Amino acid sequence: MRQVLKDIFSFEDRPRFERIGFVVFILIILVFPWMVHSAYGRVVMIKFLLFALFGLGWNLIGGYGGQVDLGQAKNVGFGAYATALMMFWWNTPFWVTVPIGMIVAAAESFGVAYPMFRLKGHYFAIATLCVALVWKELFVFWDWTGGARGVELTIRPTPDFTYMQFGSPIYYHYFIFLLFITQLLFMNWFRKSKLGYELQAVRDNEDAAASLGINVYRTKVITYTITGGLGAVGGSFMTVYYLYIDPDFVMPLDLSILIAMTVMVGGAGSLWGPIIGAAILIPLDMYLGAWLGAGKRLGIDFMVYAVIMMVIAAREPRGIWGIIERLRKKG
Amino acid sequence: MKASKRIFLFLFVSVLSILIVSPTLFAQVKEVKIGVILPLSGPLAPIGKSLKEGAELAADIVNNKYPELDISIAKWEGIPNLGGAKIKLIFADSRGDPGWGSEQAKRLIEDEKVVGLLGAYQSAVTKTASVEAERAGIPFINPDSTSPALSKRGFKWFWRVTPHETWFTKDLFDLLDGLTKGKAPGVKAVPKSKLEPLAVAAENTEWGAASLAEIEKFAKERGWKIAEGFKYPHTAADLTSETRKMIASKAPTFLFAPYVADAILFVKTMKEMKAKPRLIWGQDAGFVEADFYKTLGADVNGILTRDLFSAEMGKVKPVAGKLNEMYKKMTGYDFSGSSARDFVGVQVWAHVLNNAKSTSPEAIRKALNELHIPGKELVMPWKGVKFGSPFPNDTQQNELGSGVINQYQGYPDGKLHIIYPFEFATSKLIYPFPGWK
Repeated sequence: MRQVLKDIFSFEDRPRFERIGFVVFILIILVFPWMVHSAYGRVVMIKFLLFALFGLGWNLIGGYGGQVDLGQAKNVGFGAYATALMMFWWNTPFWVTVPIGMIVAAAESFGVAYPMFRLKGHYFAIATLCVALVWKELFVFWDWTGGARGVELTIRPTPDFTYMQFGSPIYYHYFIFLLFITQLLFMNWFRKSKLGYELQAVRDNEDAAASLGINVYRTKVITYTITGGLGAVGGSFMTVYYLYIDPDFVMPLDLSILIAMTVMVGGAGSLWGPIIGAAILIPLDMYLGAWLGAGKRLGIDFMVYAVIMMVIAAREPRGIWGIIERLRKKG
Repeated sequence: MKASKRIFLFLFVSVLSILIVSPTLFAQVKEVKIGVILPLSGPLAPIGKSLKEGAELAADIVNNKYPELDISIAKWEGIPNLGGAKIKLIFADSRGDPGWGSEQAKRLIEDEKVVGLLGAYQSAVTKTASVEAERAGIPFINPDSTSPALSKRGFKWFWRVTPHETWFTKDLFDLLDGLTKGKAPGVKAVPKSKLEPLAVAAENTEWGAASLAEIEKFAKERGWKIAEGFKYPHTAADLTSETRKMIASKAPTFLFAPYVADAILFVKTMKEMKAKPRLIWGQDAGFVEADFYKTLGADVNGILTRDLFSAEMGKVKPVAGKLNEMYKKMTGYDFSGSSARDFVGVQVWAHVLNNAKSTSPEAIRKALNELHIPGKELVMPWKGVKFGSPFPNDTQQNELGSGVINQYQGYPDGKLHIIYPFEFATSKLIYPFPGWK
């Protein structure tokens, strides 16, 4: 038990500069709502933490596992719908709906993982994408999910900690931070766990891993199942944050790609990669959109965004974390 | 100190103090900021751009003098009761994404300090953006979203100017009932048996699903039989089986709620299969897009479509004609039902601010609930703007709005002609549908 707690909270195996950076980062997040008075600044911070949360979950299968999964939006959708529908039908408190959303997403991931991991590489990526699209279409088609009309929740008097509805973004800031830090600590434990090491061995060389007695197939299936469960948490948050969801909003292909891109830009397979990726992509996108999105030349924000993405990809395909690592080794 | 020096000092201090104090002395509202959220990128960007232009034209008319226009905002040069304050529109792109809509609403309300909001076209975006206005206690005027659910949420800070889907469906059944009573221009009373039963095809997103539900509801209420009613994916590359289903139902009246690609596909397939409906009606969207009539050419003639505006409106309502000319000069194309509604949205804001005589949210709220703009002020064929509860559970919904039903006649030389409301009809109805050559 002590060892587990140590694995969760200890970052001793990381270099000193990483630990200092992490503490500074946490401090910045904690004081942020009190230092920044722009409402949009706070909104951007909340969205950054949400995508860092998504990225941390995806990094499990996509980074540590090296399997390109382009269907994480379905898990976001499961979480979002579990919270929305249970609140809508039965007034279920938020904290009850979250584990249920995670279980549904994990169970579905477990179910589809078996046939999907018969595939490898690009074929696996295409399969994940298709499964997510099928789920989205089903949610549009079904009437019991609200179909294309989605689910809308009523506004409650705030602050409400049972249904997690708040009038001020400050509450949402600490709320998403709590979810984020929990997942980060879980990831810290995971990368040092037996499954974590097995997964990294599978990523580096499947045949070598199998020859050491690792059940490659089982390792991938379990990891994919956990990734599914983690993806649902952010979906539940989206429901109580926006108070409205529909399949196009919480399960689109764009979301799956953005989650994967966040991790890839930051550095897949590193603990900090998803956070760095989200810290670059989300503010860049949101500020460009706000400054240039409604200007005289419509669409210019996307052009600037795309150019920056291309420069990053061309300069360092391993992501920003790759650049940091290289600079550190040089230094 | 010499007298001249003393006078100089006195004057210097006086001028300085006036300079310091004057901004507070003359501190009247110089401009009123209104946040406008629209889909300015993504697949709906072309529509978003036209809506933005509609809103900009209205702001320009409020802020400057246009004596040739016979509407009150054209004579104001700003908001008279706010000391001539100008309206300044602050646009934000929703990207057609409900999350973005909500985030931009927060930015406009808290950072840009807008007096209120306008937008956001797609019903899903309007839902999330108006939640932010409701939480902040800031008025949100919605001129362009038609999901019936929006005005049934009981929001305190949300007012909808446009009629919604329930209304448009009511218009359709008024037209059908009118046809049986011989009210349609140029057509004698048609026995109901020649129009019944109905066959309905609706695409399966929020809008199509809502349209189908409304048609089924009204058909039941008004005693019209539906032989076939179904949803289909609007991205389908082939609609043969759907068309066959409609033909097999032997219904003389075909009703559609499609986007543009599927609308074109339906008409082409019906022509190939030699379908012989007596009446074809489309629920706006795909049936009024330029791609629809440009692709199908003369095959569109005789098809009816629900709409909110027609360039023909100028024939029966001169002010609409003049405003449309101004809009066309500015953009190169006519007002559409959507861009004309965003024009009205800004117009409503101007009237409300003038009536409120203040920019405080409570004063604006009161003014909105007491507002009455007569129909002669509007570019739309409406009886006016007055918020009430026109349908069960509706709150703060304009009760004086209405849609129009147009018919394609003589395309490519002619275009859409108004058939309904019958009193605004610009042409005789072509009935039965002439078929395809």
